[in-house]
Amino acid sequence: MRFLIVDDSSTMRRIIINTLNKLGHQDVAEAGNGKEGLDRLSAGPVDVIITDWNMPEMSGIDFIRTVRSMPEIKDTPVLMVTTNAAKDDIVEALKAGVNSYVVKPFTPDTMKEKIEAVLAR
Amino acid sequence: MPPTAAIDSLFIDELTAATRDVFKTMVFQDLEAASPTSEDALKPGANVVGTVAFAGKTVGLVVFYSTLDAAQAITASMLGVEPASVNGELHDAIGELTNMIAGSFRTRMAHAKGETWAISVPTVTVGSDFYTKYVSDVQRVLCPFRMNKAELYVELIVTRSATQ
Ligand SMILES: [Mg+2]
Repeated sequence: MRFLIVDDSSTMRRIIINTLNKLGHQDVAEAGNGKEGLDRLSAGPVDVIITDWNMPEMSGIDFIRTVRSMPEIKDTPVLMVTTNAAKDDIVEALKAGVNSYVVKPFTPDTMKEKIEAVLAR
Repeated sequence: MPPTAAIDSLFIDELTAATRDVFKTMVFQDLEAASPTSEDALKPGANVVGTVAFAGKTVGLVVFYSTLDAAQAITASMLGVEPASVNGELHDAIGELTNMIAGSFRTRMAHAKGETWAISVPTVTVGSDFYTKYVSDVQRVLCPFRMNKAELYVELIVTRSATQ
């Protein structure tokens, strides 16, 4: 099972990787923004994408819209992790193709549950 | 309303709750909150400063202050490593911490007041003791917290409020 984490904060990437490791997942690629995320995906598909929303260069929303438009990877499950908690934001993210949503700050248990839920899809 | 009028206590309560929530969930620390002050108080040993700006009906800044030692402990706790092994990660960790405090504060204010704010990316400064003096026509409140032995501060600076 291969994961891609896209977040401009190296701290947030590490926190998510720690959770993935605890769940037994070691195969994790990282990217600092949506553009880098697309570069990573061009090297090969992943099983799950976990992405931030607010990032320089290319936001998480634009990144997901692009992923959903690419035939080979368009069905990759996506979990979004962001401080954006307004209803309109969540609706926009779901419309862009996000499958599940975690609002920061989160407890380790919440992150675990959301990852497991995305995997169970 | 004169520009130096006190900040609505709702703002202070929500900012305090947001800060405690971020520390509990992401740093695994229960913060003790002390009485907020509007005095031009010194922030002893505050040589790590994280700032996030917000803008909407109300415009201002959320500023996080801590000592280098406390910032190292916070970073280590977030990353799940020993404080002694924290090196280059501090800037990003304090930036993300400040981002989450400001983001959670924004969500709470949206619920409490129906205000929609945009927030900036965080900036972090690490240096020797310094003290920032703001122009007088802003409203500000300093919220002190205690994390174990360390004193932390979150300051709210309002440069334009919805009621003005
Ligand atoms: Mg971000």
